[in-house]
Amino acid sequence: MIDKDAEFLKRLLVTFKVEADEHLKGMCSGLLELEQGALPERQTELVEFIFREAHSLKGAARAVNQVEIEALCQALESIFASLKKNELTASPGLFDLLQEALDLLARTLPDAGAERAHDDKALQRRLINRLEQAGKGGSGETGKRRNGEALKGGSGEVVKDRTGETEKRGNGADEECLPDSPFPRFSDSGKLPDSPIHKISTDTVRVSTARLTSVLLQSEEMLSAKLASSQHVLDLRATATAFDSWSKEWARVKPLVQKFKSSKTQGENDEATHKKRSLTRLLDFLDWNSDFMKSLETRFTAEVKSAERDSRALGGMTNNLLEDMKKVLMFPFSSLLEILPKIVRDLSRENGKKIELTISGDDIEIDRRILEEMKDPLVHLVRNCIDHGIENPAERRAKGKPQLGTIRIAVLPRDDKVELTIADDGGGIALDGIRSALLKSGMLSAERVAELSDQELMTHVFQSGITTSPIITEISGRGLGLAIVREKVEKLGGSVSVESTTCSGTSFRIVLPLTVATFRGILVRLGERLFVLPAMYVARVLRIRPNDIKCVENRETICLDGAPVSLARLATVLELPVSGWESKPSDLLPVVLLATSETRIAFQVDEVLGELEVLLKGLGRQLSRVRNVAGATVLGNGHVAPILNVTDLFKSAVKSAAYSSQRSAVTDTGEPANRLRSVLVVEDSITTRTLLKNILESSGYAVVTAVDGMDGFSRLKNGSFDIVVSDVDMPRMNGFELTSKIRSDREYGDLPVVLVTALASREDRERGIDAGANAYIVKSSFDQSNLLEVMKKLI
Amino acid sequence: MDETSNERQRILKARAAALAREPENSDAEAERIEVVEFLLADERYAIESVYIGEVYPLKDLTPLPCTPAFVLGVINMRGKILPVIDLRTFFDLPNRGLSDLNKVIVLHQGAMEFGVLADAIIAARWIPRSDLLASLPTLTEIRAEYLMGVTEERLVVLDGGKIISDRSIVVHEEV
Repeated sequence: MIDKDAEFLKRLLVTFKVEADEHLKGMCSGLLELEQGALPERQTELVEFIFREAHSLKGAARAVNQVEIEALCQALESIFASLKKNELTASPGLFDLLQEALDLLARTLPDAGAERAHDDKALQRRLINRLEQAGKGGSGETGKRRNGEALKGGSGEVVKDRTGETEKRGNGADEECLPDSPFPRFSDSGKLPDSPIHKISTDTVRVSTARLTSVLLQSEEMLSAKLASSQHVLDLRATATAFDSWSKEWARVKPLVQKFKSSKTQGENDEATHKKRSLTRLLDFLDWNSDFMKSLETRFTAEVKSAERDSRALGGMTNNLLEDMKKVLMFPFSSLLEILPKIVRDLSRENGKKIELTISGDDIEIDRRILEEMKDPLVHLVRNCIDHGIENPAERRAKGKPQLGTIRIAVLPRDDKVELTIADDGGGIALDGIRSALLKSGMLSAERVAELSDQELMTHVFQSGITTSPIITEISGRGLGLAIVREKVEKLGGSVSVESTTCSGTSFRIVLPLTVATFRGILVRLGERLFVLPAMYVARVLRIRPNDIKCVENRETICLDGAPVSLARLATVLELPVSGWESKPSDLLPVVLLATSETRIAFQVDEVLGELEVLLKGLGRQLSRVRNVAGATVLGNGHVAPILNVTDLFKSAVKSAAYSSQRSAVTDTGEPANRLRSVLVVEDSITTRTLLKNILESSGYAVVTAVDGMDGFSRLKNGSFDIVVSDVDMPRMNGFELTSKIRSDREYGDLPVVLVTALASREDRERGIDAGANAYIVKSSFDQSNLLEVMKKLI
Repeated sequence: MDETSNERQRILKARAAALAREPENSDAEAERIEVVEFLLADERYAIESVYIGEVYPLKDLTPLPCTPAFVLGVINMRGKILPVIDLRTFFDLPNRGLSDLNKVIVLHQGAMEFGVLADAIIAARWIPRSDLLASLPTLTEIRAEYLMGVTEERLVVLDGGKIISDRSIVVHEEV
């Protein structure tokens, strides 16, 4: 354990040194510019800049327990604070003093963490004293002068002791203060054997993200060169086969040519001689032609071979380049997790808790952009563990647990993903807290809340719909941030889940893709267009017969594993013209079943072309957000294909077909199908109202009735319902109006509405859909199993 | 032989001298703007070249679903996805006849970047600001806010900065 801590501290120090080096460089160049006399506005800027750098370095030093560096920075900081407030004016003496301080910092930094020499410490104490003196604005010019001189004398000796180059440093300073040199004093110090800057920055280079991204884009573009090249080879090979047919033809006429050649011509007259000569020339040409073609073929075959070789080489180089580019953007988890020990140490001390943090698997590498995005969610989760998860020592003792709480962070590779677990052995999430919060939110009825299983309750912790409301934040504080955690993780293409057992702790599991950009996609065709569906949402690809599609009240469904699943046409959802598949009813229809944790919908496409690795690219600032489209990818042939946004598709499908998909309750783990759900029946006819009430109650629903739309809406406001079943033709407020009113209501906007009506015309049906009804049941063809089936699907 | 090479030398020198000559009224520099002139549906338009990143041939256009009509689609520009816009639709100009639309003029300012389609690029040239006249309503159907002006030869100079920074050109739609 001690070894591990020491090693950790060592790594932390390395990071600190790089960071400190940057702050120091900033301060040096700033100070130099200031000394050379900058314009007044620039001066203010510079003072502010150096002040901040000193402050940052102080903070960084404190984090790694470098008390001496911290103290020195503190002194520097207060000088610049005084300069900022104009309580102090810059003088040559002051500049010397400041430079000396920076020099000392530069010398101290590389040895940070090691025990320092006694006289070194004394020097620093003296320097800090002088800085403090100088910082006292009232001490006046003479005081400062004196300080400066004393400093020159005093520290000069020490520097000499250490390096033997004092004279050079002192005298050379002025010439070296060239404005275009960022840290001239340090370029000089390069002659010192242990120059801090040279030591630290040789094996790392800072490159701006923009430049890296541009290089990445260009390397990706090499993919199309690779593909074009292999296509070229295929073309060449096709051309090469043309020689074969020539050979065949030539072989056929060759004997004929031979025959002519050997035959002696009859007759001795001029004409015959002339003919013979012409024929000989022709035959000679044919021979030459044959040889020529053969040599051409040989040359061409060689060309094809070399093209193949080039193509292979290009392919290999491209693959390597891309792989390396990906690695450039990969960082070990440790670079993210390293901030945690400090946070845990500080927070547990603040909270009076004793906590041990264990980290494993932090050498696993992942896309840098993912690490950056994960910082806030991770810190949030760890904070939660400390604030609300782990109990204080007394409580733990009472529960018979070890006093020392544990937070365990584990990174595990999972195929092409990474699983990050943040677990504590604290009190767990209070399920009763979630229950009462849900009740208070009014989102679910008391009956439903009571019926929720523990695991179901737990998923509500992440619910985004109630993020901002106080309820979730009251559940032991877990909530406000958890919705954000989930949002961030899902945006990265990952998922988050939570397990908690009372008394033995809580465990958050986050599954992340290794890189932001590449993932598997399913390429589908709609008419002429190609689209990519992220494979992580594709539950299954299947073919269905047209007559497998059942139309249940305006929604097409298919049966999968015995359960009905809504079917939507992807083209319709994307507002594209639908191709005429219905013309050939015998054909099997390709269908892609998309699923999220909450719902699943089958999308019909024209063709499923296959699975491929895709790289998500943004659409640019002008197309800031396009409905249903998450981005685009460049296919192997250089064409662009849009990548679809599955969450959007689900919403659009529901909208376009005016149906609601099954809620999580139905698709979730083996939950009893018939639980007590509450129904609001709105119907003006007393007989129908009673009939509906009886049917529904005998099927296990809790029923509340209302006599018209107006009454219905006010009852809705005073209770919690899972579904509304309403008549259309009613006094005061009819069913269409009620439906629209529900749809436009913030709170009830998603509440399923079933219209049961005598109006059977298509127009009325359409009106119902327009108003936002989820189902439309015509009274003339009403039977109770139909209604119950529809309702079951909606809630 | 000598004769011709001397002659050639003379011509080259004259050319070099002509090229090296300072523009006659160099203080009018600020008063001139450099524009790229292009053809769109038989009309001549120009956009200030400071807003133009490059001109890219339109080889392959991928239409995007669920976008406004003025967004024609996206193209792959050296690995970067670039949206392409039809200015005629954006300006609500009537669509007359068929258009080649085989050039993409890449407009950019800061992080904002998109392409507009043109039938052909005519030239890059300087025009004096004083030549820009306020447009007559009869001359072009483009709303005045997108215009810098119209020259006497009926070249419609568009306000590139206005088009790029126009909020209505940004597509941001939720389901």
